[in-house]
Amino acid sequence: MNVVQAQAIGLPEKIIFAILAGATVAGALYTITRRNPVTAVVSLVGTFLALAGIYATLSAHFLTILQVMVYAGAIMVLFIFVVMILNREEISPVSFHGFPRRVVGVGAGIYLLVVVWDTVWRLRGVQVLRGPLGEPPADFGTVATVGMSLFKEFVFPFEAISLLLLVAVVGGLIVSRSHKQEEQAEATARRGKEIRSQVRVETRVGAIGTDTHADESHTAHH
Amino acid sequence: MPTFYYILLSFVLFFIGTAGVLLRRNAIIVLMSIELQLNAANLAFLAFSRSLGDVKGQTFAFFVIALAAAEAAVGLAILVGLYRTRQTVNLDEVATMKR
Repeated sequence: MNVVQAQAIGLPEKIIFAILAGATVAGALYTITRRNPVTAVVSLVGTFLALAGIYATLSAHFLTILQVMVYAGAIMVLFIFVVMILNREEISPVSFHGFPRRVVGVGAGIYLLVVVWDTVWRLRGVQVLRGPLGEPPADFGTVATVGMSLFKEFVFPFEAISLLLLVAVVGGLIVSRSHKQEEQAEATARRGKEIRSQVRVETRVGAIGTDTHADESHTAHH
Repeated sequence: MPTFYYILLSFVLFFIGTAGVLLRRNAIIVLMSIELQLNAANLAFLAFSRSLGDVKGQTFAFFVIALAAAEAAVGLAILVGLYRTRQTVNLDEVATMKR
């Protein structure tokens, strides 16, 4: 039964998967071996576009569009900007400075990969994963379906994500501004505070009298 | 294609991303390798989602994309700040948190 089904996978499907998977792996390898960061970013965009194609073969329509727009579009533009700001080619892409530390790091990485590979290799015997996928429901992976799941079951995570993005924007601005900008911003804030407290003191003084002055200058510190 | 091949592809992508994180010294390329790893996870999510016919996996992939956007924004901002103070993005030279 399963053998018959496995033979039913069409040749075009196989060819498309092979092309997209090959492009993905080649792009990823090209990305991590490039010395020039601009080349690496561009090949990473290619990798993400090929991955979007793979998502499409999994009939994840909404995620395909998101992959193209958010990943290959927005996030990679951010990378391009930063690469343009810091455009520095590496003198030695792979260094062996701090050799013992490097060995421990690579050892830990290899261990992680062995564990993951073991898990993946165990899956080869699972019949469900070896058979063809069959026809999905007509609305599988559309914006409507994913949106229903998102807003029915995952409303709170969704709102948490919007908060996270806000925090990321504010954090990004604060982390990346220079010391000069920081000092300027603080000076402006201090001046504004002083002006506001003065204005408040003056209005109070005008309305009630001079005896609230000490009280007001005390609260202005907070 | 059977789901197993998608999982294999996901593993290969994750492997390449891990190799990039561990071996490269340019912080920008290390960040890009982390993006590769996140995409490998996304691919596994979508493959299992399709295999099980459950759209929740796609919702999770959506969350991963949003997280990746936040991570890229903050990570790149840190790189810009790092470059301002140290004039380098080589991870060997910034291994300590001293100035």
